[in-house]
Amino acid sequence: MASLTVPEGNLITPEIIQTRSKSSVSDLQSRTGHSVSPDYNLTPQTMCPAFGSLRVLTRIDGVQTAMVTDTGCLYGLTFVTHFYAARKSIAAPAFGTKELVAGNVAEAAIAACIEASKMPGTKLVAAISLCVAETAGLTEEMLPKQINGVDVILVRVPAYAIHSHPEAKDVAINALLKRYAPAQTEITADGVERPLTYDGSNEEEEALRRKVIMLGEVFPADPISVDAVLKRLGSGLAATLPSRNLDDYKLARRVGAIAAVHPFYGGSVATLRAAGVPIISGAPVGPEATYNWIKAVAAALKLDGELAEQVAAEERDKCKAIISQFPLRGRVMVCGYEGNELLYARLLVEAGAEVPYISTSIQKSLYTAADEAWLKARGTREIIYQKTLEQDVRALDRYQPDLVLGTTPLSAEAKQRGIPGMYYTNMLSVRPLFLSAGLAGTIQLIRDALERAPRYAWMREFFEGPRPPAPAGPAPINTMD
Amino acid sequence: MTALNDLPNRAPAADQSRAPIELIRDLESTSGYWAAVWTMCTLPDVHLICDAPIGCFNLVATAVPDYTDAIPHIHNITPSVMREQEVTLLGTAGAVRRAVEALRSLHPDKTLIVVSTAESEMISSDHSDWLSKLDPPVPFFWSQSLEGDEWEGRDRALLWLWDRFGRKRAAPLSANDAQMVNIIGPTYGCFNSPADLHEVKRLIEGAGGKVNLVYPFEATLEDTPRLSRGAVNVVMYREFGEALAKELGRPYLFAPLGIRETTEFIQQLGDLLGTRAQADAFIAREKQTTLAPLWDLWRGPQGDWFATTEFAVVAGRSYTEGLVRLLADELGMKLHFASGRPRRLGEMDNIQIRETLHKKQPAFLFGSLNEKIYLTEAQAKATHFIPAAFPGAVVRRALGTPFMGYSGVVYIVQEMVNRYYDLVFNFLPFDNVAAAGQPKAADNPLTAASRLVWSEAARAQLDRHLEGIPWISRISASRELRAQVEVYAIKHNLREVTPDIVEQALAATATQR
Repeated sequence: MASLTVPEGNLITPEIIQTRSKSSVSDLQSRTGHSVSPDYNLTPQTMCPAFGSLRVLTRIDGVQTAMVTDTGCLYGLTFVTHFYAARKSIAAPAFGTKELVAGNVAEAAIAACIEASKMPGTKLVAAISLCVAETAGLTEEMLPKQINGVDVILVRVPAYAIHSHPEAKDVAINALLKRYAPAQTEITADGVERPLTYDGSNEEEEALRRKVIMLGEVFPADPISVDAVLKRLGSGLAATLPSRNLDDYKLARRVGAIAAVHPFYGGSVATLRAAGVPIISGAPVGPEATYNWIKAVAAALKLDGELAEQVAAEERDKCKAIISQFPLRGRVMVCGYEGNELLYARLLVEAGAEVPYISTSIQKSLYTAADEAWLKARGTREIIYQKTLEQDVRALDRYQPDLVLGTTPLSAEAKQRGIPGMYYTNMLSVRPLFLSAGLAGTIQLIRDALERAPRYAWMREFFEGPRPPAPAGPAPINTMD
Repeated sequence: MTALNDLPNRAPAADQSRAPIELIRDLESTSGYWAAVWTMCTLPDVHLICDAPIGCFNLVATAVPDYTDAIPHIHNITPSVMREQEVTLLGTAGAVRRAVEALRSLHPDKTLIVVSTAESEMISSDHSDWLSKLDPPVPFFWSQSLEGDEWEGRDRALLWLWDRFGRKRAAPLSANDAQMVNIIGPTYGCFNSPADLHEVKRLIEGAGGKVNLVYPFEATLEDTPRLSRGAVNVVMYREFGEALAKELGRPYLFAPLGIRETTEFIQQLGDLLGTRAQADAFIAREKQTTLAPLWDLWRGPQGDWFATTEFAVVAGRSYTEGLVRLLADELGMKLHFASGRPRRLGEMDNIQIRETLHKKQPAFLFGSLNEKIYLTEAQAKATHFIPAAFPGAVVRRALGTPFMGYSGVVYIVQEMVNRYYDLVFNFLPFDNVAAAGQPKAADNPLTAASRLVWSEAARAQLDRHLEGIPWISRISASRELRAQVEVYAIKHNLREVTPDIVEQALAATATQR
């Protein structure tokens, strides 16, 4: 066993194997008093990465998708897209051995694009190239830029190279930005190419320059409350990306700043930054981050500093008032695959909850650093990037949480142990999060979930019998010291 | 199948010798790999290693089954987790080997099976050779994910399981097994199978049989040799499973759907098992009990509308043919169209189904999520959609929702009658109350509408618009459309309704929507 060598990033680690072999199934069973599936092993935890791109693209009005892949993948992705993303029919070429042997990958992709472009009102066809097509070698040059007057873009999201569902959203948006908001450059007198700057001669353009585009998939009520706050600063929200409106992507280089509220839009941020658009990171979640975020926007846009201080302080105080009225008590594990887990954890911590463990499917990056430092300074013991299900399940043993916000298998495991559990994606992404308005709703949801604990215990006991006396398990961890 | 003949000139030149490219919309059948997972993972003493990237693993084992028949995410499967380096450089043997070693230590009692996926087949990861040299050897199932469909895939998986784990250890049929019946087919991803299986078992027992093995759904890998102890095999689906039944060499019947087929099934099973008298008595009893509601509905007023009601079916072959038999042949409903899966020559593909549904919708459509989307695109408000196939987010694990057998006949007809009642209710006039319970303003412009003159051509024009609407909804729809036209005419101070006005009025209303 010790001789196993594991390439970096591979999810089967010797550590996992050793832990599992040391604490055998029967061992676990006697500790927890019920059957722990012996099969929670060696299973990574993220939605198929490509779905991130599909979700973003199928939701845009006037965009039709053509998926270039094998039937198994196509079946699964069509299912989740129809269920989670949009009620939009999806075109594809048949893509099996016959087609691969014939080598007409590009022709097949083009044929599907033509079919996709037939829908009335189509403005853009996104050809989504997945594992098998990528392996067969479908390149950008093989696709025409337009078919029958409809724009065509290639979005390359093989699951073996894009490691998480949120990061595939970034790939899709970046592809749109590159096509719809191309860098406008000018050559200066000394022959240097630099981003074209606005000269202030157009009023509409001037107004846009004072506005912000928010980059991050958020609940529809959030942009409304953010816009209201920004308006008080003399600014406003020009759009939120991903947007359902293709035109919104065209604004991306014309606004005063981009607020990247989620940390995984690395590619899009790099594209925009290279074009000279200022980037604001972090998000207005919880009192402190809300205060900082509003001030950061004002600074990036060079708005009135005193006014910004006043608005930021007011919003922070509203948040604090809500928290003092409805404080959270309890230990919560935050384990999603959406990439915004650190934001939620910040909010919960500021509201009084203990969040010892956070895990996400995205990679650690420059954009996660600030939140990570903040959380670690406030009692978070572990933050796991590109996590596996095994790591999350072991954390359940270690931290004995009162509530689990997790992926489906993890939430199921929590419920099986009689612990309240909620599927992170379904329950949290469907309500506002930002500013004081988002704070109130989120806290209420978490409080309700914590209060439902007896039902989870009752249900567990009904199905799995009474619990044996508690074993001498790991000592409770006080993370608030 | 839509042959591609309109490639734009700027596209890379298509080689004339190549076969035309087949286009797909909204796939309704998945691959051999999915079939292997959904067949083999039902066996609790098996653990699969799929040679796959995260996506292939997550979709089949978690994302899709969680929302279909609420099968919990599948536990006994582990991916090799292909990354870029495996695809481009290393190959996946190392990753598979690590999974084998890890799983062997974790699950010493389970049989490991390695399954290929489209991606591993693409990069030619054939592990059969080295896996067979391990001690003990690990079987490798080449799922042929890039060929065939899920039905062929399940057939191959079932045959392979029998060949590999059953045949050699099979005992010959003994005298004690004379009434033993196997049920072959139920696996994950078979629409509504718990209720159908429950009904089929009931019919088998009613006919005098004993259920020996439900394979693979209620079996273990270890049970596989016991398949030989079935005197008769019942194949649940026409889509797949027959190949294994043939291989077993015993007489077999398909699970029945519809009144006549169910009756014949019970009789034939009685003949095969030597229990014909018991089977006949069972049928007689069923007519008085299970089937009685159908007889009562047939004699009641509900039975009358069958003749004027159109339906369409897009589902697995068993359901498609069964529903056509029951609803069209036996009850006399009008068949708009039917398309079975796997698709036969001449049956519509999704591209054609979509076009057909955009033009005209039946009152009832049995189908998958795909057809539901096409109905949504057509804004078909008067069509009742009844889930009858995957893909689709549907939970059907209650035992009381069968399509097959006598119980299925009653369940389907009952559901349709209930939806018919719903339809009638929704189309009753609802003119006296506006939104949110507020009384409607009395100055309805239509009070003056009686003075409007309709030209003969305009009336014909309105009829043409009504043709696309399912029959039972036409009365109320005609009222609604007429009102739309007349309100428009009055607003424009017209005294006569001409075909032009009908078009303008309906177009204006459609825009407002």
